[in-house]
Amino acid sequence: MKTCTVVTVCGSGVVTSSMIALKIKEQLRERGWDATMLEASPVSLNSVITGKDVDVIVCASPVTEDVGIPKVKGMGMVTGMGEEKVMDAICEVLEEKYK
Amino acid sequence: MEQAIYRELIMTGVDAKDSEDAIRQVGQLFLKNGFVKDTYIDAVVAREKVFATGLELNGISIAMPHTDIIHVNKPGVTVAKLSHPVEFEHMGEPGRKVQAEMLFMMAITNPEDQIGTIMRVLGAFQNKDAMEAFKKAETEDEIYAAAMQYIG
Repeated sequence: MKTCTVVTVCGSGVVTSSMIALKIKEQLRERGWDATMLEASPVSLNSVITGKDVDVIVCASPVTEDVGIPKVKGMGMVTGMGEEKVMDAICEVLEEKYK
Repeated sequence: MEQAIYRELIMTGVDAKDSEDAIRQVGQLFLKNGFVKDTYIDAVVAREKVFATGLELNGISIAMPHTDIIHVNKPGVTVAKLSHPVEFEHMGEPGRKVQAEMLFMMAITNPEDQIGTIMRVLGAFQNKDAMEAFKKAETEDEIYAAAMQYIG
């Protein structure tokens, strides 16, 4: 299985990021990716990604800062509406990077 | 499975003039039952202004206010129905408003230990039957029954 590292971001870096992290990990596995999940708030994002090879950032809270890593909007994972779209967007980033 | 729903954390008929008032009233459930420190409510109010928690779900709009773990003593989830919808800002889209009918306020002490709770709440959000049951529930006992069934 291919490996990747995904950061989920929410306001506190606690509740919503954990919610979507588990779902994304499960669904990435179904799509052939073994994902290492990291959780962050917009404030802790820089320290969380430092020294790690992060492939994609999934945001449940808006992240305006450009940290040089592709960002995907992750609200669909919270509401359950548009989950496929979120997963497609994540996979698109991963496949582009590892093609 | 760790307990998340408690009868004393259920409330209905919350008559709030705005989102802050709703958070303060529902937060009292946590405070008076010892789930949170006396810093919790102010911290949730402050956080909601920066990182909103309104969600438009399948058939109902809700908010899930919460804050950092340092303000929490014991994990739990409040399930509260408002007597009339109150405007919250949408979690993912600044500027977009939702008319929240319910508050699922969260007290989390350790997201890894309580991942089950967190995932069950998320599961309820995404479950049309669960949201219909909450929408239909009128009394606190009915809300409690739905909360036990779908979150536990």
